Amino acid sequence: MISIRHLRKEYPNVTPLKDVSAEIGQGEVISIIGPSGTGKSTLLRCLNLLETPTSGEIFIDGQAITDPKCKVHLLRRKMGMVFQSFNLFNHMNIIENIMTGPVSLLGHSRQDACDRGMELLQMVGLRDKALAFPDELSGGQKQRAAIARTLAMDPEIVLFDEPTSALDPTMVGEVLSVIRNLARQGLTMMIVTHEMKFARDVSTRVFYMDQGEIYEDGTPEQIFDNPRRERTRQFIQRLKVFETVIDSHGYDFIGINSQIEQFGRKHEMGQKTICRMQSIFEELCIQALLPRMEKEFQIHTMVEYNEENNDTRISIRYTGPAFDPLAEGDDLSILLVKGLCEEISYGKAHTQPFTNELTMKLRLE
Amino acid sequence: MTITKNKEGTRMTLALEGRLDTTTAPQLEAEVKTSLYDVTELVLDLEMLEYISSAGLRVILAAQKQMNKQNSPMVVMNANETVMEVFELTGFTDILTIQ
Ligand SMILES: Nc1ncnc2c1ncn2[C@@H]1O[C@H](COP(=O)(O)OP(=O)(O)O)[C@@H](O)[C@H]1O
Ligand SMILES: [Mg+2]
Repeated sequence: MISIRHLRKEYPNVTPLKDVSAEIGQGEVISIIGPSGTGKSTLLRCLNLLETPTSGEIFIDGQAITDPKCKVHLLRRKMGMVFQSFNLFNHMNIIENIMTGPVSLLGHSRQDACDRGMELLQMVGLRDKALAFPDELSGGQKQRAAIARTLAMDPEIVLFDEPTSALDPTMVGEVLSVIRNLARQGLTMMIVTHEMKFARDVSTRVFYMDQGEIYEDGTPEQIFDNPRRERTRQFIQRLKVFETVIDSHGYDFIGINSQIEQFGRKHEMGQKTICRMQSIFEELCIQALLPRMEKEFQIHTMVEYNEENNDTRISIRYTGPAFDPLAEGDDLSILLVKGLCEEISYGKAHTQPFTNELTMKLRLE
Repeated sequence: MTITKNKEGTRMTLALEGRLDTTTAPQLEAEVKTSLYDVTELVLDLEMLEYISSAGLRVILAAQKQMNKQNSPMVVMNANETVMEVFELTGFTDILTIQ
């Protein structure tokens, strides 16, 4: 139904979409998740041509909407969009807000538009607010009215851009339950959301967007329970991440140590844990690995901290021939490192340009 | 790291303040190499020491060996929890006299 091929969108200063491809079938409910600024809104805006893609193609029902000859108003008829900020006309009451599109754009009679509008208001639980004005409604009610207005255009596809982000938390549920209902009715939808539980329940597929692409695409179970890629996992588990790279013998030891300390302080990890992280870094990177590194090298250290259970994992990836410091390193350093970790292991790295990887879990008490 | 040296006759106290790590261990190493020859009792006061790495441990071990050779006692005092943990994990609690 929707086919996105090598979509790219550049702005003067950023390129939020580098290379996005996806196939979306009829009746699918796609949740789009990811950190802010990763092009989720830009993708939706490209889909309904509020933005012109820099390159790539989008097909809807086999028709290339990125073709300049494409009739924008025909496309808009197939596709509805619900925004974070409701976008109701404040000078019209709710039923007029809903009727205006079908009457002026689809040529429906006022009577038909009104009947259908009342049905939709019934469906979103706002029948008795038909004559109210937007500013008499709560945020949740306004968003439900905005959904009804979008549906009044009989779209085949509805795009939602963070439909609950502007709402008071107490009103999120009522809007989500309306969207859940639409999913059950088989409407094709793409929903940018930060509501993870909702995304898991309602979606047929989840897109995790990051780094200018659909970084990982899978069923809700895959994405939420078994993410395959690192950044997806960090996002899903809400990990706090610290990274540093050493690529010269003139590295800044004191600077890195104080960065580790700042990271630990910021997330209230405690002085003991901070010292342990610094020990691991010093014993492995500086004492064990650095002296063996030759001209061109990289040692990449990453700390991932889970605020919910205090899990602290460290991975150290490095270039060069296979070398396991746990087996071949200096006794004192390794004794210390092993004592500070609950688990530690060495293996091959799977990310370029690294060849070796040490992963460990810090001891907690 | 700051090293404060206090000598009363042949009894010497070295009070260490800050971090004893890869970059600062050579400072202590220099002290150990030059000042221990006539010392009959060495005290390492670690009250103000915040952190110690294997590089620091090696220097402390060298000092202990030197004092052993001179048949003179060396005592480590006032180590905080973090530093004590490092001593324990590396078996230094068995090698050093810790008070
Ligand atoms: N009209 C625009 N002009 C310039 N930059 C923009 C424009 N719209 C979005 N951006 C930039 O593109 C990036 C992606 O934005 P957006 O799609 O809104 O991300 P998300 O919805 O994932 O938070 C951001 O860095 C944003 O500042
Ligand atoms: Mg957005």
